[in-house]
Amino acid sequence: MTRARVLTAARDLFDEVGYEETTIRMVAERAGVAVGSVFTTFSGKAELLSQVMADRVEALQAELEHLAPHLRGPTVDRLRSIMAVHYGFETRRLRLFVAYVACSFTWPADGAVTPIGRNHRFHGMLVDVLRGGIERGDVRKDVDVELFIDTLLAAYVWNYRRAAQDGADAGALIAAMDRQIGLLFDGVAYAA
Amino acid sequence: MTCPTTSARASFEQAQPSLPQASERKVATADPHARPLTRRALAKQRTRRLLLDAAKRLFNERGYEAATMRDIAAAAGMSTGAVFASFADKADLFGAVIMDDFEALAAHLGAADHADAPTEASLLRLFSAVFAFQRDHLPLVRAAIGHSWLGHPEADARMRTGAARILALIDDVLRTGVASGELSPDLDISLVKEMIWESFLASYRHAIFEACDAEALVARLAAQVRILLAGWMAVAA
Repeated sequence: MTRARVLTAARDLFDEVGYEETTIRMVAERAGVAVGSVFTTFSGKAELLSQVMADRVEALQAELEHLAPHLRGPTVDRLRSIMAVHYGFETRRLRLFVAYVACSFTWPADGAVTPIGRNHRFHGMLVDVLRGGIERGDVRKDVDVELFIDTLLAAYVWNYRRAAQDGADAGALIAAMDRQIGLLFDGVAYAA
Repeated sequence: MTCPTTSARASFEQAQPSLPQASERKVATADPHARPLTRRALAKQRTRRLLLDAAKRLFNERGYEAATMRDIAAAAGMSTGAVFASFADKADLFGAVIMDDFEALAAHLGAADHADAPTEASLLRLFSAVFAFQRDHLPLVRAAIGHSWLGHPEADARMRTGAARILALIDDVLRTGVASGELSPDLDISLVKEMIWESFLASYRHAIFEACDAEALVARLAAQVRILLAGWMAVAA
């Protein structure tokens, strides 16, 4: 399981030492494999980071799917619960997550790496919850589901900056997201 | 997201808001009591300008890592040593390029002029003006945003400075909307302002700039602003 060992080593180094500071040689050493064997599977650091994050979302989504049938209440609260789980999970490796966000601003759209917000599993689950709301009748039918989720995710991602730069903890991020999701649901336009 | 053809670009350019001319601004802000610069200080200023322009071009074309100090010096027509006389290292030079660009953007945006325009139109005008300004150096802007996420305090401080200007303009537009009665007085302006900013910033990710022109991005942001301001969620379960 060279691949798994390499990904675990990369994840830990990106989080402990930093993405910029980590070299492929360091990853190989930590994983106990030859530098060449890292390159047989991954083209470089960017692909390693992209795969590490994809695996994390995969693991988290699998957990959330067990939770999904037990989600109760209005759609707004279901979305809040799901996002809270994400914050709890990702803030445990904050430096890793923030490096991923940083890279997502510069990665090319060549398909080799997946920037944040472009993970179909993550995006898809949120879209499903909102569509469920339309079926349950507590979300308006004419909502642009994709764009609504993109708007929610824009806020979700930016909140990590409060943690990275201002030292906010997961609880503070969850509270911020709760307000943001509330705004998205309540709406604030003046109803004439 | 689908991208319109290039024909959309022409109309986007025509749709640019009229902005104050650079010379007008200079007149308005010139300090009449400022002492004239010495010949030496002028030469230093000119060197700095040449370096900033060359560095901006190379950082934009090649990326931060690939643009070397030696190449930047050569592009500016000077020795590598001369670069280090003005800037401590590459990070210092990159930071100066970014600050210079933010200042130029602020000047480009000029004073907010949206007295009677509806909120959405004013916001779109603002974003159009930003994208139009950045159109020829988007890789640089994206690199600056990326850097600001990596925990470098100077990069974060630069980002805050650049962001403050745009956030203030968004704030202005929203307050005008409340004052005109278009938006509810109960609007949580600081929350909406942040969320509009976040959506705006997210449009720099996903490499969508490569595929879409500014008009498509602005149209997408418009739809997001509508979602944020309209309150589409009606009936409680």
